[in-house]
Amino acid sequence: AAMRSRAEVDATLQTAKLNAAELLPAVHCLSFGPQAGAGECCLLQLEPGLCAELEAGRSLVIRGEKDEQAVLCSKDKTYDMKIADTSNMLLFIPGCKTPEQLNADQASCNIIHSQIAGFSNNYWELRRCRPKLKKLRKLLMEDPYEGPDSRKDQSLTFPKYTTEDLLSLIQASEEEILHQLQVIDACKIEGYWRTLEFDYEMKLLNHVTQLIDSESWSLSKVPLRTCLEELGSLEPIEMIEHILLSYGRKYIDDAGEVYFEMHEDKICRAIARMLLQNAVKFNLSEFQEVWQQSVPEGMTTRLDQLQGLALVDKSSRPQTIFLLKVEDLPEDNQERFNSLFSIREKWTEVDITPYIQDLCAEKQTVGALLTKYARSSMQNGVKVYNSRRPI
Amino acid sequence: EAASLARSGGAGGLAQWVLVELQGEVEPRQSGGLAGSLLGDLHYTREGIPVLIVGHHILYGKVVQLEKPFAVLVKQGAGEPGAAGLHARYTVTALIKTKLLFKTRPKPIITNVPKKV
Repeated sequence: AAMRSRAEVDATLQTAKLNAAELLPAVHCLSFGPQAGAGECCLLQLEPGLCAELEAGRSLVIRGEKDEQAVLCSKDKTYDMKIADTSNMLLFIPGCKTPEQLNADQASCNIIHSQIAGFSNNYWELRRCRPKLKKLRKLLMEDPYEGPDSRKDQSLTFPKYTTEDLLSLIQASEEEILHQLQVIDACKIEGYWRTLEFDYEMKLLNHVTQLIDSESWSLSKVPLRTCLEELGSLEPIEMIEHILLSYGRKYIDDAGEVYFEMHEDKICRAIARMLLQNAVKFNLSEFQEVWQQSVPEGMTTRLDQLQGLALVDKSSRPQTIFLLKVEDLPEDNQERFNSLFSIREKWTEVDITPYIQDLCAEKQTVGALLTKYARSSMQNGVKVYNSRRPI
Repeated sequence: EAASLARSGGAGGLAQWVLVELQGEVEPRQSGGLAGSLLGDLHYTREGIPVLIVGHHILYGKVVQLEKPFAVLVKQGAGEPGAAGLHARYTVTALIKTKLLFKTRPKPIITNVPKKV
């Protein structure tokens, strides 16, 4: 279509009985661009912070396999994506000026021919969500590292994952993925992220705790150098350093020597796991005795070290304890609650909290989750929670 | 597979576009589709009120600063197979922080009845 002229614009104004004197001199003649109807453009509504990220030159990524619901990731956050419909038509127009811009630029052209780039009656809406990290653990546990002496069949090739691989497979931001790798004590071996097979991890830990004992070191001052010297003939030094980093806090003293302050709680917890994984359940008092005897000299075991790892059955006589790892439970909220209620019909808040804490969204409390997914009642003077629906 | 929303425009910074929100649907007047056809004239009053003349209607609107800006995503490789839905690649082409909202009922333009000669 031919471009409109000033004369045509003025004629239209006259027909419309609009007074040109009451209008700004510049007019936009809007027409549909060549690709406007092609549907190649769509709108994404930006949550706070994302606009600034884009303006700063950073990218956003949409992640998800064909069978997954897509998420959008910034450098450090993850968002669910949902289509929002509007009853109105949204036209997106490049080069269209606002009254402020026109007033500021007095020399602006009298007629601005603007082409509508596209239009839509819907847009993508974002909602901040928990990163979907369960898959990360699952992928790395396909082939846990069993040490250099592993008798695992080397001819079987399992997939191994670099950081780039994980970024394309996991529905989470890069920072969330890297943080989770640290939380699960993963390490990079030959460029691939690996988790340690639990028995191998305990073997490494045992080397360290035995050395601490034989050297009579303080648990808060374990020297890296000596560990590597003494244990380097038994295990790769990278693995020795890795186990120290996993179970201790690294620091450097004034002389520049590297030491570790061992995490008592984490070590006790790992040893409990090792004991508990060998049977369905244990007599609680027997377990507590064996557990205390199994931990390094100077460490004290406490049941609260086992939150999210083991559960005590106070209703059985004698009381028992069994392994229940939160990371083995479903990631979806409803599925998690279904799973917990099928393990135990009624839960106190104290008992259930470690198993639902990780479900809390940004500003959500455990109480809010319980209100939503459970029903409360009183039992023997204690508030308990059970399922809202029959399991 | 990850679909990357790469930034286009390199060092120049993202373009700022404007959203025009209209009631109803946009339909081509002639057959042959919308591409190239005129929508109408957009004026502003001296007070900054947008006035859109579309066909035989006048629409009055208002300028709204969006609380949540939009990013305009343009699909890459349109003709390629498998480039469907969200798993296509998108580029962030522009940001939209302002919209012109036309919600009032359009006023019809009543043209003069030609005088008898």
